[in-house]
Amino acid sequence: MPKLQQFDVKLKTGASGRSTVPRYSINGFLLDFEHTGGGTGPGEEFQALGNPDSFPHTLLLIGPDDGAWDIADISITYHCAGEPPYSLRFAGVTLDGESDLNIWQTRPQPAFDV
Amino acid sequence: MPSWFDKVFSGGAGKTKAGAKPPEEKVQLRNPILDDPEFQEEQAKPRPERAKPRRVIEPTILADDAKAVSSGDELRIKAKPAADGRSCTVYIDRPLLERHSAWFTSPSAAFGNSPLAESIFEIGGIESVQIHGGTILVTRDPYVKESWADTSKEIATRIRGHFGKGAAIVTDAFLSGLPAEKDIQDKLQVVIDTEVNPGIAAHSGSISLERVEANTVFIRMMGGCQGCAASAVTLKQGIFQSFREAVPQVGAILDVTEHAAGTNPYYTSLPAGMRADA
Repeated sequence: MPKLQQFDVKLKTGASGRSTVPRYSINGFLLDFEHTGGGTGPGEEFQALGNPDSFPHTLLLIGPDDGAWDIADISITYHCAGEPPYSLRFAGVTLDGESDLNIWQTRPQPAFDV
Repeated sequence: MPSWFDKVFSGGAGKTKAGAKPPEEKVQLRNPILDDPEFQEEQAKPRPERAKPRRVIEPTILADDAKAVSSGDELRIKAKPAADGRSCTVYIDRPLLERHSAWFTSPSAAFGNSPLAESIFEIGGIESVQIHGGTILVTRDPYVKESWADTSKEIATRIRGHFGKGAAIVTDAFLSGLPAEKDIQDKLQVVIDTEVNPGIAAHSGSISLERVEANTVFIRMMGGCQGCAASAVTLKQGIFQSFREAVPQVGAILDVTEHAAGTNPYYTSLPAGMRADA
């Protein structure tokens, strides 16, 4: 399991936003994003840096306490110790007061033509 | 009372004989780390807040070349080995089976049911072949040393050869031997209610049977170990085994919470006139 030093999050909110700043959790512990920019209102873009510097068994983007948060697009760049960074794009998803999004993904294996 | 009695049961306090050695001082054992200032400073820091357990949604990862389009008659095939090296998913630019799916764990199981799977088993070292939609999931013996790059080329050669002959992906005998959707649904629901959910309830998890299409099963996994990938794999393997023991004709089992389940991320268009069940 790689050690996740940092990860950059860029997401775009869809029709329904949230009023509170998003947080994330690693291995069950809630942490605040650093160097946040933008917003999470409808149509807004949000950028932030997560700095867990730990081995992630779970890494979750915490949903809002109430209401629905419509995320149109998410892009995450992972910086793991001893490895070059890699980026992934996730399709849109809606989080609510009872759901979180799993954002921990190991480096994807390449697909090749055969 | 004899003098030895007093020594044993009174500790000998104040009754040591003249000339006797005083009891040795007890050694106080203490972990030196506890006295380390840096450790004490770290311990004094406030602990991070614990996240409340909630439903975890698995995201759909968008493939970079997800917009690749099939071009005419040329059969385009991609291979993607799994990170653990045990399996490889082969993506074909056209559907092999539409609603039905097939899962074979030996050449004898594939014999008479799927000429394509039989051909893939001939490669050697193959443990299982699953055919669903436009994908073939192949697992093999972990001790096989050949790279997946080489094995997948052999698989692709056999797929192209199979299409060249115009042979069926699965036989009519295989299709006619499948139980009705309702029968599959009822039997799997019993397994979920009596075996699976009671077993994973201790982990705050549960699964529900989303739907059955022909012999392809769609489940929804909820709760569980909060998105932990390793436990999800272990959990699924156990659940899938229970399903297949109850209904051996079950083909692919897909988790709808993984939004890409059952989709081919590389090829999205269908050549006109292509039939899935040849």
